[in-house]
Amino acid sequence: MGEEGQLISCHTVDAWNQHIRKDNNKLIVVDFAASWCGPCRVIAPFVAELAKKMPHVTFLKVDVDELKEIASDWGVEAMPTFLLLKDEKTVAKVVGAKKEELQQTIIKHSGSTSG
Amino acid sequence: MLPIISLGCLTPHALSPTLSLSITKPPYNTPLPPLLYSTNPKHNPTNTHNLSMAVSGFEGFEKRLELQFSSHDPVTGIGLRQLDFKSLEQVLHQVQCTVVSALGNQHFDSYVLSESSLFVYPTKIIIKTCGTTQLLKSVQPFINHARTLNLHIIALRYTRGSFIFPQAQPYPHTSFHEEIVYLEDSIPHHLCYRKASVIPSKLTSHSWHVFSAGAVEYPDDVPYTVEVCMTDLDQTLARKFFRHPNDGKNGDSAGREMTGLTGINRINPNAQICDFAFEPCGYSMNGLDRDCYSTIHVTPEHGFSYASFECLGSMYNDMADMVKKAVKVFGPATVSVATTNASDDVCMRIKGAVEQLGMKCRSCSMDVVPAAGMVVFQTFTTRRKRI
Repeated sequence: MGEEGQLISCHTVDAWNQHIRKDNNKLIVVDFAASWCGPCRVIAPFVAELAKKMPHVTFLKVDVDELKEIASDWGVEAMPTFLLLKDEKTVAKVVGAKKEELQQTIIKHSGSTSG
Repeated sequence: MLPIISLGCLTPHALSPTLSLSITKPPYNTPLPPLLYSTNPKHNPTNTHNLSMAVSGFEGFEKRLELQFSSHDPVTGIGLRQLDFKSLEQVLHQVQCTVVSALGNQHFDSYVLSESSLFVYPTKIIIKTCGTTQLLKSVQPFINHARTLNLHIIALRYTRGSFIFPQAQPYPHTSFHEEIVYLEDSIPHHLCYRKASVIPSKLTSHSWHVFSAGAVEYPDDVPYTVEVCMTDLDQTLARKFFRHPNDGKNGDSAGREMTGLTGINRINPNAQICDFAFEPCGYSMNGLDRDCYSTIHVTPEHGFSYASFECLGSMYNDMADMVKKAVKVFGPATVSVATTNASDDVCMRIKGAVEQLGMKCRSCSMDVVPAAGMVVFQTFTTRRKRI
């Protein structure tokens, strides 16, 4: 599909719904970020790297201003917030630009040792 | 009332902004504690081989800088938050620290640094660093970066307590005099209201140093700040800030665990917390609650143990209650509380709250500084302790 190894930006509610409902048992990592948030910029390159290194994981990016309701529905209060989803349920959450924590949490839930 | 050592006050009528420095030198030369080991290299990566560090420990007492800016544009927008990470890193490099964690909300960005914290609001920067960092070297770079965003500096405030190991400090922090000279050279002339003050206590080891400069002597709308410094921490409580070898955790997860185990998360349950645990010991956290930041830093090693709690006041938070909870986390033998622009009521409430923990207020001194208002400095010790 050409999406593997990339960070997919969701710009609409439909795109969001489409991506999180994909029934392929993949771990989904959602990066909730804001354009005006410095900490989001700190970790952005690292997240892109992770996406490249872990094609078996789906990486989504949501702008909290663009999709306000989704950010609010999923309890995002500070940025960046990373939600790890499986079957549309949150299995883990990393709040803040925390590289080690993010990497280790993804590895833990993706059932792989790569990364 | 203890005598204030005021180092000069400047009005715009002076021909040039100079500061006279005829002061009684504060008692910096307190005897060093009997230590002959230097502390963990992670805590102070740049200075482990410094000879003075061999007879001292890690300096927990922070240097704090607050820079207030104003916009030429009618709409400021996100202001300083636009600064790209590369620019921030450049400035931090000059101060010898790096970002270890970060978190932002709609009001401001917070960064946990290798040596304390940085907060970036649209028109305000607060940077607080410990150890032997050369914090004042960030003044000019910040002013220059802000200028590229059409923001100009309108106020600066530099505060710190008394260093436990003053001899270990590098230029320009070898004395308050030197810091003042450096600051005066770094700030533009239009910050013409300036004052430097050393506010004493009955403890020779605890004085509060303030340098404030502004374009306006009495600005409106200055929120109040509380800076708490704690020393001689209860050893059992301090031990909670040591990493366990082979705990299988990283700095982030270990930090989160410490936040919960020590009750730091209960100081302000409404705050989003960004925490980090250093190896082999040490802890830092930033709290975000609406537009109010809070920050805690811990140096738990026996012999030079130290913890700080700082918070911006607002009508939404109960400052006295937060200070009390913070002090309870550490069980220190000595506490100093410096408030800037806080009401008498807030100062009294904080005093009452700390006394409820069984500590005794030993001194309360104050001074008024331009661009920031009244600075009140209170010290407390456990009742057993003799002065």
